[in-house]
Amino acid sequence: MAVAETELPLASRRRPRLSRHRVVGAAAPYALLVPTAAVIVAVLGYPLYLLIRLSFQKYGLFELVRHKGKSIGFGNYTTIFHDAQFWHVVARTVVFTAVNVGLTMILGTGIALLIARLGRFMRTLLTVGLVLVWATPVVVAVNIWRWMVDYEFGVANWTLTKLHVGDFQHHDWFVSNWSGLGVITAVIVWGAIPFVTITLYAGLAQVPQELVEAAQIDGARAWNVFREVTLPLLKPLLIILTSLSIIWDFQVFNQVWIMLGERPSQDYYLMSIYAFVQSFRINEYGLGSAIAVVMVALMMVATVVYVRQMVKTGEVR
Amino acid sequence: MKARVIAAVLFAAVLAAAASTASGSVRSAKADSITVWLMGDAQSGWPTVVADATAAFKAKHPGVDVKVQYQTWGDHLTKFDATIAGGDTPDVIEFGNSETTKYMANGALRQLTASNFPNSKTWLAGLRSSCTYNGRTFCVPYYAGARAIVYRKDQYKAAGIRGTPRSVAQFLSDGKKLMKKYGKKDRNYSAWYFPGKNWYASMAFVYDYNGQIAVRKNGKWVGTLESKNAIKGLTVAKNVVGALSRASKTTDEAHPQQAIVFSKGHVGAFIGNGWEWPYALNKDLGNPALAPVMGAYPMPSHVRGRLMPEFLGGSDLAIPAQSKNVTLAADWIKAFTSTSAETGIAKVGNIPNTTILANVNKDNPQIAPFARAAAASWFVPTAPNWVNVENGDVLQNMLVQIYSGKKSVLAAAKSADKQINKILNG
Repeated sequence: MAVAETELPLASRRRPRLSRHRVVGAAAPYALLVPTAAVIVAVLGYPLYLLIRLSFQKYGLFELVRHKGKSIGFGNYTTIFHDAQFWHVVARTVVFTAVNVGLTMILGTGIALLIARLGRFMRTLLTVGLVLVWATPVVVAVNIWRWMVDYEFGVANWTLTKLHVGDFQHHDWFVSNWSGLGVITAVIVWGAIPFVTITLYAGLAQVPQELVEAAQIDGARAWNVFREVTLPLLKPLLIILTSLSIIWDFQVFNQVWIMLGERPSQDYYLMSIYAFVQSFRINEYGLGSAIAVVMVALMMVATVVYVRQMVKTGEVR
Repeated sequence: MKARVIAAVLFAAVLAAAASTASGSVRSAKADSITVWLMGDAQSGWPTVVADATAAFKAKHPGVDVKVQYQTWGDHLTKFDATIAGGDTPDVIEFGNSETTKYMANGALRQLTASNFPNSKTWLAGLRSSCTYNGRTFCVPYYAGARAIVYRKDQYKAAGIRGTPRSVAQFLSDGKKLMKKYGKKDRNYSAWYFPGKNWYASMAFVYDYNGQIAVRKNGKWVGTLESKNAIKGLTVAKNVVGALSRASKTTDEAHPQQAIVFSKGHVGAFIGNGWEWPYALNKDLGNPALAPVMGAYPMPSHVRGRLMPEFLGGSDLAIPAQSKNVTLAADWIKAFTSTSAETGIAKVGNIPNTTILANVNKDNPQIAPFARAAAASWFVPTAPNWVNVENGDVLQNMLVQIYSGKKSVLAAAKSADKQINKILNG
């Protein structure tokens, strides 16, 4: 092969002739991508197109009955951008996401480091526990948590009262949206930790023990070893996990919805809930879609960071 | 986590699919089943009436199956909207009488000829008007009801209460006696079990003080909860509920079902519909042993000797515009609103849809208080968008803020008014 190539004139080496063989060869990867692309377009692209189209229409009950919307340009967007509640909801969603992702990552990393240092028995026990949490369906988990913080019979109120933390008899966790969203954060973080922990634990196994030992010999303390050795090696993983967590926590719906009996009050609205209520409770499908589109756009930003980092990580390696 | 968003997206896809298929759908010559959506109240309160109506229907249409699907008030409209989008609506659907206007105004219901249905000449005026839009009829009145206080006679007696209260002030002082007698030892005890989101019973205080939720002024709807009278009513409600109820401020009267809570013994009284009395005695969920010690009386007004106006609740039965089995659906509605069916519905504690049955419960002490409560009643503003105020939980949110003390009565009412203005004029 190599010999044959050197014999080719210079010009034709720069511009290889488009032989049939070459065309088929070049097209093959794309052909293999076609089924996946088709599925993605069908299940994601088309609905997204419809969503965007809907967001430029007045689409209420009247239009629903007739299956025909009325185009109003950017009307829905103007409405939501001038709606103070919308901006409250966006701010709440951003803060909520930040808190959830932060707690998930900190606790997840901590537990991963802990597992790495545990004996075999405890490690197995903890891992099994984590996998069980992971395996619990969201609906089931939220209902269990809901019973635990029940107003009248909840074990949380009972325990806190017995421990003399205060009088929690008939304490309503959902009167204040701070404590209510706090409970919801607990459910989400609890459910998200296993994935982060198990992934990071796998990552920790890749940290060469020699590096750690060398650092220790040089007199580095535990914190410094973590900061200077472990963290940089885990960084790509941490960034990917954080990006994924942002994507997941930004669109939380079920935890809020089920925890609050499918009727969350307005001070619990996150973007997903707000879009749902506008669409399906108030029959303003156009407005709801506009909110959803803004949500998708914000998610895109997070995704871009994630993809860029993935590509970068690949280059570094 | 993403399920809802995906669902929303799929919903959009269904919209499009439906749009393309609806025009080309072929009407089947002979249906073998019809689908009926009733609210869970019928399932808990009068399941035999439903079964009898279906039997009567089947006698006329052998081979046609009736699928009765019970819905919950919280989400039945959302589900119905989804079936409209998908072109697969039920053939008969129950609406609350405050929910119909929007659907009539938007052409979601089939126009009906009132005279084809039993007792249409003597339908209750309140329900008839909830079925009429621009002079045309779109649904059939089903039943009505007003709430009254259901109470434990034995506890009232033991607490030294004689007779039933004749004013709100007396209701409060009687309740305090109960709290003193039972509430000290039993920290789950409520003299009046009142979950914070019970907006029907809360608004009764507003109307009792001559307040209103919203009024139409110069062609526009104006929320009037911040008016002096409404604020007075809400403040009294807050005081009474605060003193007598230990129920959660963030739940409503159906979660958990208050009649069942009552049946467990830690409750002196609750305000409920007629059917909730027998429901408390349900042998599986409630406590039949309470039968001899239960009583009911209409909620008194703040004016001694008068009654507090209660929400005139009720239900109607409609045929969605897209139903393909209109004749069958109408026949089922006829069977379910026949004089005998309505008698059955009335006997469990409801107000039947026709005035000819007004005396059916005359000799029944269990039901008379509810009928008396209905005599003084209030109704929601008749704006086409009203149901969006209900579905947006505007009043419930305000009440949670008031009863939990998170906001002052005035601040909570003002923010509710703002939202009501936006929704009703939107």
